[in-house]
Amino acid sequence: MGLTFPQAILITLLAYVYELDRKSTQIAGKITILYGALTGWILGDFKTGLEVGATLQLMSLGVANLGGASMPDYPVAAIISAAIAVATGKGMAAGLAIGIPVGMLVMNLDVMFQILNSAIAKKAQNYANKSQFKKMRRTIPISTFLIPLEAALPVFLAVVFGKAVVEAVLNFMPAWFTVGLNVAGGMLPAVGFAMLLVYMPMKKYGYWLIVGFVATAFLSVPVLGVALLGIAAAIHQYKNSDNNSKNVAINGNNNSLTEEDMEDE
Amino acid sequence: MNNKYKITKKDLLRTAFRHFIGVGTFNYDTGIASSLVWEMFPVLRKIYSNDDDLIASLNNHFKYYNCNPWLSPLITGATLAMEEKDGTDSLEAVQSLKTGLMGPLSGIGDTIIWVMMPTIFGSIAGSMGKQGNPLGMWLFLLVYFMFFLLRPYVYILGYNSGTSLIDKLGNKMEAFTDSISVLGIMVIGSIVSSTVSIKTGWVFSNGGVKISLQSILDKICPSLLPAVLVATLYVLLKKKVKMSALIILVILVSMLGAAIGLFTV
Repeated sequence: MGLTFPQAILITLLAYVYELDRKSTQIAGKITILYGALTGWILGDFKTGLEVGATLQLMSLGVANLGGASMPDYPVAAIISAAIAVATGKGMAAGLAIGIPVGMLVMNLDVMFQILNSAIAKKAQNYANKSQFKKMRRTIPISTFLIPLEAALPVFLAVVFGKAVVEAVLNFMPAWFTVGLNVAGGMLPAVGFAMLLVYMPMKKYGYWLIVGFVATAFLSVPVLGVALLGIAAAIHQYKNSDNNSKNVAINGNNNSLTEEDMEDE
Repeated sequence: MNNKYKITKKDLLRTAFRHFIGVGTFNYDTGIASSLVWEMFPVLRKIYSNDDDLIASLNNHFKYYNCNPWLSPLITGATLAMEEKDGTDSLEAVQSLKTGLMGPLSGIGDTIIWVMMPTIFGSIAGSMGKQGNPLGMWLFLLVYFMFFLLRPYVYILGYNSGTSLIDKLGNKMEAFTDSISVLGIMVIGSIVSSTVSIKTGWVFSNGGVKISLQSILDKICPSLLPAVLVATLYVLLKKKVKMSALIILVILVSMLGAAIGLFTV
């Protein structure tokens, strides 16, 4: 490919800054078209970059990764597609053919980097528990600066070595490994939720879990709707506990409390 | 609490700028908890002069938390107000508030910021860009940049609403904690179904008729597998199995399941 070394470095840097911004400041978050255009500008062909970026921007409409779920990384796809389209002069199709697979590769790397983050978070918490706060504060940002490599490394490989290497990497990963990573990405949020439940007063109020679950699983109520139901339940609960605490104060008797609790249920 | 530190506007703005550390620390067991610790640490240090209290507060914030980073300061601002007022006595209420609000606020934030806005501005930028006009792209960037400038003030909003909330509640804190726990548990019930995804790819053939296991499971109960997974993990955590062990277990099960075709994406 007709890329000079400084150009390759600049494009890699662009990918790094993109991912850093997306995971932290979120100024240009997922403005796919911008990254296509900037790549084109670095290579001296703003217009082609803009057009490639625009195509991918339109492809990404309506696709969003929410709550830590993974999706193909369209801005990374835009950077690579624009770079290859401009550098090879073979137009958009050649760019997309490599850009989109690498966007998928980044999605897989995201799962792996987030698993790595667990170890970093754990280390930070250990430092905190040993009163080594300075070390804790230095450990946490490692994640922030490490994670953009998930975009920068594939982009570097793709723009420097091009098609052959990217295909080799994707072929090297056996299907069960790629599928397995995605399956793990779907399952792993469960660990966090289970941990949350351990900290909640499940014995007292665990039955509300069923209400929330049924609302979403059976009735497809979005989480905002469940939250509104939850607010209603919370107000009801608040009035009850408030009355109960008054009763306890008057009677000085614990039995009345449990009786009323049973009635509520 | 003998230490009464009064949080200043400068403290809040400092925390607000530190919150731009963002979601790069995301991991599957604690979400973006380390980001919270990092952003609030300087203020928490001032609130808790005693190391033991500080560690108790930090460990509370190291628990699973994941929220849209644009709206998360509403919650963390309020928790700072609570911790400033009641110190370690407020930790349970802080945890409940975080758990109760992170789902709904993420639901609102993600929908507006990552689905609606990119769809509207993305389609404008994309269609203009295809004709070689970058105006839509710059408009897209400008809108997000304006929000970026406004975002620190969300912290002050959260802090102020948190303070007024506590002033109103006064000694009814326990009733409040209980009711907000109800909200939190209900929301967890809902997000288990909407964010944990497990699909089985097994198909039984019975007398020439092929029946997929997934369709049978869906008939019994939608999101049955996610619910079973969370329940299993919850029981294991209660039995003092370490979270890191559970994560490795989930990954191994995913890989193995993908290899034998039990799980698909």
